[in-house]
Amino acid sequence: MFGLIGHSTSFADARLLAKRLGYDEYAEGDLDMWCSAPPQLLERVRVTSPTGTTIEGAYIDSCFVPEMLSRFKTARRKVLNAMELAQKNDIQITALGGFTSIIFENFNLLKEQQIRSTTLDWQRFTTGNTHTAWVICRQVEQNAPRLGIDLAKARVAVVGATGDIGSAVCRWLKERTGIAELLLVARQAQPLIELQSELGCGRILSLEEALPQADVVVWVASLPQTLSIDTASLQRPCLMIDGGYPKNLDSKAAAEGVHVIKGGIVEFGSDIGWQMMAVADMAKPQRQMFACFAEAMLLEFEGIHSNFSWGRNNINLAKMDLIGAASLRHGFQALGLETELQPATNLAVA
Amino acid sequence: MPTIESNPAVASLATGSEPMGHAADALPDFTCPVYKDAYSRINAIVIEGEQEAHDNYMALGTLLPDQADELARLARMELKHMKGFTACANNLGVVADMPFAQEFFSPLRNNFQTALGEGKVVTCLLIQALLIEAFAISAYHIYIPVADPFARKITEGVVKDEYTHLNYGQEWLKANLEASRAELEQANRDNLPLVRRMLDGVAGDAAVLHMEKEDLIEDFLIAYQEALTEIGFSSREIAKMAAAALMG
Repeated sequence: MFGLIGHSTSFADARLLAKRLGYDEYAEGDLDMWCSAPPQLLERVRVTSPTGTTIEGAYIDSCFVPEMLSRFKTARRKVLNAMELAQKNDIQITALGGFTSIIFENFNLLKEQQIRSTTLDWQRFTTGNTHTAWVICRQVEQNAPRLGIDLAKARVAVVGATGDIGSAVCRWLKERTGIAELLLVARQAQPLIELQSELGCGRILSLEEALPQADVVVWVASLPQTLSIDTASLQRPCLMIDGGYPKNLDSKAAAEGVHVIKGGIVEFGSDIGWQMMAVADMAKPQRQMFACFAEAMLLEFEGIHSNFSWGRNNINLAKMDLIGAASLRHGFQALGLETELQPATNLAVA
Repeated sequence: MPTIESNPAVASLATGSEPMGHAADALPDFTCPVYKDAYSRINAIVIEGEQEAHDNYMALGTLLPDQADELARLARMELKHMKGFTACANNLGVVADMPFAQEFFSPLRNNFQTALGEGKVVTCLLIQALLIEAFAISAYHIYIPVADPFARKITEGVVKDEYTHLNYGQEWLKANLEASRAELEQANRDNLPLVRRMLDGVAGDAAVLHMEKEDLIEDFLIAYQEALTEIGFSSREIAKMAAAALMG
């Protein structure tokens, strides 16, 4: 069985979801109540791959909401309790979605292995970052040519380059995509220098320096509320892959000739009978989901019960190849540009 | 999932600008008068809780004569726990405030006694084997990381036993769910708000011991929800039943 640990994108959304699912008491509760609310296993689903394999899974809501980020102990407890619930339900592989893996990593929860009477077995959990990184790279490779961007001549900026996903994207773009130049952007200088040294290429720039030069921008860092993008200075066309969380780039970079794709999102080939993705603001909630969630499904389809994506900067190309091949085999497609921008589709319609 | 390198809320947490929590950085000063004063009440609650548990299991034996031996065995364990916790107070040189604890438990005790008088096994089991046991388990779990070394060892032993007691009530109610459902739901409505009031009432003293109310409530609900799940209630039914503990 696979598991997904998720949460709502805001407290307001969490209350709406609770109402929709018939948890009226939760819908009416205040934030303090939610801080004490235990995780809930909300849904069980069955998913069948085009290969014919059927798997079963469960969705666990940690009852965390981003408004709790400033409460260290609450955020930590939400993540650990949700993981314990997954393990107690004997779920073999569970993806840590949304802020869950970020909290786990940034708060160093590896040292919190004992939760009450349960010793957490790390082998049962995956961040899903390998699949997310692979999907983002595929989104670059498939959509840049549609906009007339020749990747062999293109400059690609990776914002958040030193993170787990960002560094994997950089490795793939360098080795597999054959882009003209990689622009490396991150907050801290030292990890950037180390990444540049590992890659043997890439130019370290500030965000302000990188954006006007980039034909493609991969965002794998969330944008501060205050960030504004000078869209007039951007290249035309410019492809932006919004791989941050939450996904709010489309409002910040809306301009003629600037094309934003929700990054790290995949679409399954048929409807999944679940309600959970509706609150994650997916255009097709019955089929679309975060690639990290899909990684748990892929690992279950493939019978790989291990923490496939774990820790920081452990994603290599071989793992991306493996999860990418599984992703295609089991019917997942990376989200692309809207159909009106696809010449082939327009021709077909015409 | 994506990183949040530039998210200021998490960036500040990641750099440790937020306290890491009591458990992670410091134990309380077990010798200071403020600690001992709070401990006198918390310890008394624990001792009284174990005494009541003993009495309640013995009383349940009168309603379930075929299980009287097993219930007497559980009751004996509770007395052993009580002695352990009494030793914890002695170790710190604290005198447990028993009148406070007896008053603290009186609403639940009254409800138990009323149900006992009416021969309501289901209500009695809900009060003792689910609510009180889940309350104890959560409190002990939260207490262990911040306990003095002597009490820590004793509490670790006790918490293992308490799970078997929770399990007892859970198994009985599971086997008799359909006949018990309505009474269980009513007993939950009548008694869960009392547990929440008890948690609120003890929050100030618990905080002195570095046990936080938010942790206590969530841990209690996890234990209680697990028991209700095992008994056979659905997630939605449980969320409805548990809400009384969250609402305050």
